[in-house]
Parts: sequence; C-alpha cells; structure tokens
Amino acid sequence: MTRSRLVVLASSLVVGLGSLAAMGALYLDPARAAVGPLPSEALALPADTTFVMGFDVKRLVQSEFYQRFGKEKGGLARPEAFAELEEKTGLNPERDVDQVVVAGKGDAAKGPGEAGIVIVSGRFDQYKIGRAIETDKKGSVTWKKHEGVTEYLFNEGKKGAGALAFIDDDTLVMGSQAAVEAVITARVQGQPRLKANAGLTALLERVKPGSTFWMVGDQSLLAKLPTEMPAPGSGPATGGSIQLPALQSLVVTGDLDPALSVEAIGEARDEAAAKNLADIVRGFLALAQLQAGQKPELKELTSAVSVATDTNKVRVSARFSYQLLASLHPKRTATTPPPPNAR
Amino acid sequence: MRDTSKPVPFLNAARSVFDLTLEGMVWSRRSLLMAILLALPVLFAVLYRAVLVAKVPPEVTPFDFYGYIVALYYVRNVLPLAALFYASALIADEVEGKTITYLLTRPILRASILVGKFAAYMVATLTLILPTLVVTYFLLMTARGLTGIGATVPDLFKDMGVASLSLLVYGAFFALLGVLLKRPVIPGVLFLYVWELVANLPGYLPRFTLTVYLRSLISHRPAQEGISGLFGEVLPAALCFEVLGALVAVFLGLTLWIFSRREFVLEQ
Repeated sequence: MTRSRLVVLASSLVVGLGSLAAMGALYLDPARAAVGPLPSEALALPADTTFVMGFDVKRLVQSEFYQRFGKEKGGLARPEAFAELEEKTGLNPERDVDQVVVAGKGDAAKGPGEAGIVIVSGRFDQYKIGRAIETDKKGSVTWKKHEGVTEYLFNEGKKGAGALAFIDDDTLVMGSQAAVEAVITARVQGQPRLKANAGLTALLERVKPGSTFWMVGDQSLLAKLPTEMPAPGSGPATGGSIQLPALQSLVVTGDLDPALSVEAIGEARDEAAAKNLADIVRGFLALAQLQAGQKPELKELTSAVSVATDTNKVRVSARFSYQLLASLHPKRTATTPPPPNAR
Repeated sequence: MRDTSKPVPFLNAARSVFDLTLEGMVWSRRSLLMAILLALPVLFAVLYRAVLVAKVPPEVTPFDFYGYIVALYYVRNVLPLAALFYASALIADEVEGKTITYLLTRPILRASILVGKFAAYMVATLTLILPTLVVTYFLLMTARGLTGIGATVPDLFKDMGVASLSLLVYGAFFALLGVLLKRPVIPGVLFLYVWELVANLPGYLPRFTLTVYLRSLISHRPAQEGISGLFGEVLPAALCFEVLGALVAVFLGLTLWIFSRREFVLEQ
C-alpha cells in the first residue's frame, strides 16, 4: 500500500469512527435531533399541534429593544417582580431562561385539552421551585408522579385545571393536565410525536435560524381566522367588507438587533390569491401613508414595510429602527441606557 | 494483449492518473500548509476543553463555538482556499513543471487525465478536512458532558456534506481557472476575498456568488457585525442544490472542453 493510500485509510477510519459514534449518540441520547428552531424536548408536543411559536430569551434580553423599551414602566422587565420571583424560586428569567416555546391547537374554546402548552428551557433550581409552589399555592395545588416525573396540578378536578412539570433538568412544561401528561409520556418513551406532523415540521424547517422570535401556523389554524374584514371608511351604516384570501400556512420570524425586523411569509391557495392579499396589505399601507400629514412618523413606519409576492407566497417584511420606534413612543420615561456592547 | 492503435480505456487511464496525482498531492508542501490551517480548530477545541470551558459563561455553548468554526472558518475560508490551492494547480502545475508533455503524449484521453486528477483532488482534500471537522466537533461537544449531543448530530452530518459540496463546487471553479489562466492563484484570491463579499449585500447580487448557496445549507448563523449581519440572506435548500449542481456541471464541462482542445505551448 502506498503512503498516500495509508493516509486516506487513516482519515477514513477517523471519519468512519466519528460517524459511528455520532450515530450512536443520536440513537442513545434521549434528546433527539431538533427540528428547525425547536429544542429537541419540544418534539414531544402532540402531532395535531396547529401552531408553534418561540422566543429566544437570551437574545431578547441582550437586545437593544429590551434595554430601551423592556425596562421602562410597563415594559417586559419587572425588576421588583423578578427579584421577588428569584427570592422565592431561585429563578431569574433574564438570566436563567433560554427559550420559551408555546404551542397549541388554536381552539381553546373546545376545552382545556385544546389550549396551549408552554415549554421553557433554561436552568432551574427544581427543589426551590417545587417548595415555592407547594407553600405558595397551598390548598389549590396537588402533585403526583406521572411516568416517574413529578407533576404539580393546579385546581385538580376543576374546570381549567393546569399542570406543571420538569421533563428534565433544563426543561419546564406548563399547560393543561392532559397536555402536560401527554408531553411527559412522549418524552419518557422517546417519541418525537411532532415529527409525525409533516406539514408543521416542514414549516418549522423554514424558520430562519437564529431568529429572536418566530411563529408557524398551518392551514387548520389559519382556517379559523376571519375571512373578511371591514373595508376602510366603511361603517355600520355603509357596510362593506374586504374578503381575505385564505392562507395555507404562515411563517413569521423576527430579530431585534440591530433593528426590529419582522418577516411574515404567508402561503395562499394560488398566485392570484397571493396577489390579492398583497394588494390588500399594500392598500392598508397606502391608507396609513395618507395619514402621514397628521403624523409624520407614520410615513417612515409605512415605508419600512415592504410587500412582495413570489408565486403563491406573500412576503411582508418590516424593519424599524429604534429611533423610529422611540419617536412613536414619546411618553417613554427615562430608561437605563443600552450597554456599550449591546448590538 | 491491448490494441495499441486505440487509447487506454478511460477508467484505467483515469485510475492511473488518480494514483499518481494522489501520491503527489498528499505528500506536498501544500498539504503541509493545509494541515497547519486545519490543525487550528482542533487546537482551539483542545484549548477550550482544557482552559476555556470553565471560564466561558454557561449560556455560550460549545455548539456556538462549533458553529462559528464551521461557518466562518471552514465554509468561508479554509475550504475555498484548499480548493484554490489544489484544484487550480491540477493542470497549471503540470504546465509550469513542463511535465504536461509526458501526460499528453501517452495514449490516453485528455478527459481521463482531468477526471483522474479531479478525483485525486477531491479525495486528498476530503482526507485532510473531514477528520479535523469530526475531531473538532467531538472535542467541543463533549467538553461539558454528553447531554444533548444527540440533538446536534444532524448538524455534524450536514456540515460534512456541505464541506464536501464546497470542495466540489469551488474545486470545479478553480479547475476551470487553472486551465484558462497561466497564473490562476491571484484571480482566485480576488474572487474569494473581493467578489464573494457581494454575498453580504442586499438584493439579488448575492445570488451571483457561491458562498451564499453554501452558507444557506448549513444551520449555523453566527452573528456578524456590519452589513453582512444586516443582509445575510438564507436561500431555500432546494434552490441551493439546483444552482450548485448546475454550476458544478457547467464548470467541469467547460474545464473538460477547454482542456481537451487547448494546445499547451511550453516556455523554453
């Protein structure tokens, strides 16, 4: 064997062994591969989920948006509430939570089983949180083991009963008892049930990686949305409404740095429906621009939004600078200045 | 007994050229330089395990580091450079060393020479690059224990695939430069570090670069400063495969066509 072939053989051995080890890890590690932005734990969500949305809390907290608007009165951050929460549970959401995923079937009216479920990834002091729940909610909270996992039940047996459980060291699940138990079962048995929903997983794969917030919804969710809306300028006397073309799917992604940017891609039935929907959105933007005489910020706001169609897809993109957002928010109280390294 | 009036069968000739080229390629100064470049991420991973892992905040995961290494070091720099150094020299080195005559006067098809050489280039570069990628991955991902490693395994395989595709597409392009130009390295460097930066501009211009298709195929999106951070576009995977496949076919087809017809005049 020549020297070069020996090198090729050695290299192939390293790659082959590495691939085998990786396959072993994939098979043995209960945290199976994730889909799109979803953490692997969220694959235990029910297969009939119609929408999933998520927030990257780390990125949110580090963003200029949070520094500017989150910490003001009424903003996202609540220093006193967070301090109190940390004292009781050891959990500081700004520091300890990495990601929040909310999923559901989009029809809470049909019963608690249809309501949303929340999966929070981060670092938790489970003992302290458990103690806080048990002491704080005395009387209304009970707990039991489900598939070996401790589950805290709130108002057990009553309408709207909820549950909370840690499905592993880093993951907290909240929602209705039935939904939480279904997630625990799927997780313990290693069933990536959400992967059975090919439509939704395909949409999840389309979410731009690294997005601070995102949302996907499939046809069954969007079918429940209103199909018409009042036409601009119409009133109860005049009547008149605009028919909204039905959407087959919706993918929304957004980032907070260096500006607030959002992109929504809706898939319509066909090209004509997509153009129709794009025209409706453009019409509303034009109307908003007409108001620019009274409020000049509106002009900047509407010019930051663009609408485009690509066959049966409508893409609405918006990019708002923080100066623009601040100008729309004049009553803002003094806030903590952004840290110098905030991007 | 072979009929000497006919050229050596295509595959036999290509295999002979492959063996000859591979031996020269693996044991060369180029490979030494590439080995040094490729050792850097492995050294970083060792440093991370030994020192940095205790000092880095827990929210910065080893997978973040691995993502940076793959997206910024491998896909953007080392893979195109490896392709430039090896593929542009496939024919240019034979011309410069005046050994092309010995190849062209053999009873073999010119296409078999190019196919053999290009196959040797792919094997040599994959031999150097894939093990370092795998070793870097395991060194980094196991630094904080084995928990959660399964979720990142698909990314390793995806990265290995994209690395191979990068070598193929850049290799085809630089092989074309190699048969077109006498000194392809400077235009190649300009292509990589001037033209490929267009990938960071808004609009349709990025679609005229190779890197935008390759970076769209990996999942790692390290935050970047400045204009590239603003406009980094991610294209659909199907489009990327279609465009890259078409480009490989066009580049290799043109390379074969030019090499089969070109008359090489050696400097005396």
